[in-house]
Amino acid sequence: MNKWWIPALTAVAVLHGCASVPRGNIPVVDSGTRVSNSERVSAKRPSAYPTSGGSNQAQSLPEDSGVTVMIPQGSGGAPISTTPISTGPITPGPVSSGPISTNPNPVADEPFDIASMSSAPAATQAPTGIPRSNSGGLSADEQLDGPVLALLTTAQQQQSSGDFNGASSSLERAQRIAPREPQVLFRLAQVRLSQGDAAQSEQLARRALTYANGRPDLQAQLWNTIAQAREKQGDSAGAALARQKARVNL
Amino acid sequence: MTRTRNSRTPKKRPTGRVRALLGWALKLSLVGLVVIAGFAVYLDATVQEKFSGKRWTIPAKVYARPLELFVGQKLSKEDFLTELDALGYRRETSASGPGAASVNGNTIDINTRGFQFYEGMEPAQFVRVRFSGDYVAGLAGANGGKLDVVRLEPLMIGGIYPKNLEDRILIKIDQVPPYLLETLIATEDRDFYSHFGVSPKSIARAIWVNTSSGAMRQGGSTLTQQLVKNFFLTNERSLSRKLTEAMMSVLLEVHYEKREILEAYLNEVFVGQDGQRAVHGFGLASQFFFSQPLQELKLHQIALLVGMVKGPSYYNPRRHPERALQRRNLVLDLLVEQGVATQEVVDAAKKMPLGVTKRGSLADSSFPAFLDLVKRQLRQDYRDEDLTEEGLRIFTSFDPILQMKAETAMSETFKRLSGRKGADEVESAMVVTNPETGEVQALIGSRLAGFAGFNRALDAVRPIGSLVKPSVYLTALEQPSKYTLTTWVQDEPFSVKGADGQVWRPQNYDRRAHGTIYLYQGLANSLNLSTAKLGLEVGVPNVIKTIGRLGVQVDWPAFPAMLLGAGGMSPMQVANMFQTIANGGFNTPMRGIRSVLTAEGEPLKRYPFQIQQTFDPGAIYLVQNAMQRVMREGTGRSVYNVLPSSLTLAGKTGTSNDSRDSWFSGFSQDLLAVVWLGRDDNGKTPFTGATGALQVWTSFMKKADPLPLDMPQPDNVVQAWIDPHTGQGSDASCPGAVQMPYIRGSEPPAGAACGGEQNPAESVMDWVKGWMN
Repeated sequence: MNKWWIPALTAVAVLHGCASVPRGNIPVVDSGTRVSNSERVSAKRPSAYPTSGGSNQAQSLPEDSGVTVMIPQGSGGAPISTTPISTGPITPGPVSSGPISTNPNPVADEPFDIASMSSAPAATQAPTGIPRSNSGGLSADEQLDGPVLALLTTAQQQQSSGDFNGASSSLERAQRIAPREPQVLFRLAQVRLSQGDAAQSEQLARRALTYANGRPDLQAQLWNTIAQAREKQGDSAGAALARQKARVNL
Repeated sequence: MTRTRNSRTPKKRPTGRVRALLGWALKLSLVGLVVIAGFAVYLDATVQEKFSGKRWTIPAKVYARPLELFVGQKLSKEDFLTELDALGYRRETSASGPGAASVNGNTIDINTRGFQFYEGMEPAQFVRVRFSGDYVAGLAGANGGKLDVVRLEPLMIGGIYPKNLEDRILIKIDQVPPYLLETLIATEDRDFYSHFGVSPKSIARAIWVNTSSGAMRQGGSTLTQQLVKNFFLTNERSLSRKLTEAMMSVLLEVHYEKREILEAYLNEVFVGQDGQRAVHGFGLASQFFFSQPLQELKLHQIALLVGMVKGPSYYNPRRHPERALQRRNLVLDLLVEQGVATQEVVDAAKKMPLGVTKRGSLADSSFPAFLDLVKRQLRQDYRDEDLTEEGLRIFTSFDPILQMKAETAMSETFKRLSGRKGADEVESAMVVTNPETGEVQALIGSRLAGFAGFNRALDAVRPIGSLVKPSVYLTALEQPSKYTLTTWVQDEPFSVKGADGQVWRPQNYDRRAHGTIYLYQGLANSLNLSTAKLGLEVGVPNVIKTIGRLGVQVDWPAFPAMLLGAGGMSPMQVANMFQTIANGGFNTPMRGIRSVLTAEGEPLKRYPFQIQQTFDPGAIYLVQNAMQRVMREGTGRSVYNVLPSSLTLAGKTGTSNDSRDSWFSGFSQDLLAVVWLGRDDNGKTPFTGATGALQVWTSFMKKADPLPLDMPQPDNVVQAWIDPHTGQGSDASCPGAVQMPYIRGSEPPAGAACGGEQNPAESVMDWVKGWMN
């Protein structure tokens, strides 16, 4: 239990630092700019992770297109499906065009259009650029149930003693008990990363994000995990984008 | 040997020749001795070679998922007791010792047995489980302290047997329960500790008893001889075999200690036949007859097992309970006679019932379809010899409680529908999985539960009919600029000319056209015309690609008929396809195995949870919404005659041409089930998807009592108020307005609020409505 807080606190502290001190990066506020929908379906992707670089798409941040998903593609992924926010009129009712116009809170929502799989409803989202006040640590930890917390603790011990298979096994046990608890998937993503399976690590973090609405700290950690996973897969551009998302989410 | 004896007969012959004869005899007996010595050396080598090192090959054991206990867990007391019974927990007034349970109202105390799992040892411990409704409300340990999570030991559901089908659970002599060794020795070989392998005393006694009673009542074989006979020799009855047996017994006693011989006997003894499987050793016998580990057996159970050694099939307690009871009590009497147990103890034991597990109970059932799945997955990683000889422990995701519920749902529904003509010839298959983990929890491969044969769940590839439709709608809904759930589509007759020149004219099941409808209605009511039209618009190849992304690689030709389910899949493939929809667009390969341990409990291999996001969660959310409408207002709506309306479910019916295949596939939050009914000869059945498979599915869901479906709304999805008649934007304040989900940006613009009685918007709507009609 106690061991748990140390990395968590450290991570949060670091993230704080990142958020407030943009090291040569564009300030978070501008990060979203107009991102299209990012819904990109690639055609023949050999493996789970996004192809490197944003070279496929002219527009902004294709890599974070969480929405879209990874279909095997032969490398050049032309967007097949359309973006969530489309421009053309849609039967029966006309549809508004720009993403911004439809957003009640454009500033806050902007980043989510980048990767629509990220989350946190607009209502709970503080304006970007202003670090969310943080009481320190993963507050969500305290909400975990007894069994899940117990198994996460066991997994943590196994992981720190180098028993990654045992840790995975304990975490999957926790997952069966609480399949929708994003922290379980988050820990599993981290163990996979330690085991060298960066592709699965990213997938698990993505799955966790779909359950992490309203938990910005955890979202930031998940994006950081995705960043690390992409780094390991040689996708530094994608990693940078994920890191940016991590900052936005704090 | 016979020769030496012969040589002694011509002793009193005339002396002239006597010397020569004696010389010959001496030579012959010398040769005989050499031959015997040689034979003894050979036997000695055989004895030592076979008896040292690994004496038996052990088939892999397959275990069900361990039942997890934690506060807040959804588990009824009845299901818990079913599991405890299957695991052979004794009901006692207060739970004492491993494998004991005591029930007191809503509280159940158990003493778990402990078990070595992949990631660690689960200790044997006292646990007090308190139930409230169908939930675990409290979990406490021996000192009343709160326990976070406890695992029961897993139920063994089968093994992977070699050709000779010998099965056993190895035991060590220091693990046996009190009375076992004494009872065995008292019954089979009371001079065991004093003889040297063969016991002239026992033989004499046997002869005396048998001649005085005029029947073969007692054998003179020692335990050592019995072991030698079973372990080294064939079942042939001849003097030479008997002599070989005696020699080997003596040799065995020379080389090994009594305890070692006794331990080997405990593991070798044949105690029964289970179909083609031979049950060897008291370890397995204890599981086979009592569903309990050997260590936990009480005197009356021990006496039964020991008594059965004399004639395993003659004294089979399941087939001949009275004979077995008599024999058991006779053994118990022997114990008093020989001072092993007191009269009181024996009297108490005699009052006990036989206590063997009931036929048809969970402990006495076999699950061939699931074991077949496990074997197939294992064969990808292991050689046959590894599986049949190394004693591997295979941990699976099999849920015996769900399996029994599935089997009961299947048989009850067939009974209910048996009046329909042709229903008798209908076969069935069923797959039950956890959509969130991709684990297979139950599998039925045949209408006759427990029947090992054609595994239809895996191997019956049949046209899926309308089960294909969600993939058509998913392909469309991935293009929100073109399609939303409320897009108007035409359900009108049309025809297309295929590449081969054939004209394709789809028809609705009711042979009627339904005019202009909302897109989702085509799925909810399984309309062929609008679905086929939509599928042609998005492109047949794209629909087939969608199916691939859902997890099933099909080699269907891109013909329009594929849009209505002319292509075939197995029930397992269907489960995989629907699992991706149920799991928010993340595909998980279906898994039946979690991990493999060696016979010694060392971790060997894990089959980890793996996922792959293949769809935008937004598009999946919309398809789930339409599939919920299948259940609320469409072809699946009969479920709510049986299930509570608070239970949100999503699913799809499927019926192939002429009702040859009746399908239903659907899911809740935590449970996905696919049911197929059809004939092996592909003949017509009296069932559609709704009247056949859905009935089984509904019955199963009622028993399984799953959690309502509740996919978190992805952030690219918005809920918009619309007028149900026009599909135009409306407002929450307007009468009749309904909420529909849309991918953000594709929703109709919000309508004006309807305040008070004045409602200008409504008149507009009415006008639009009139215009639409």
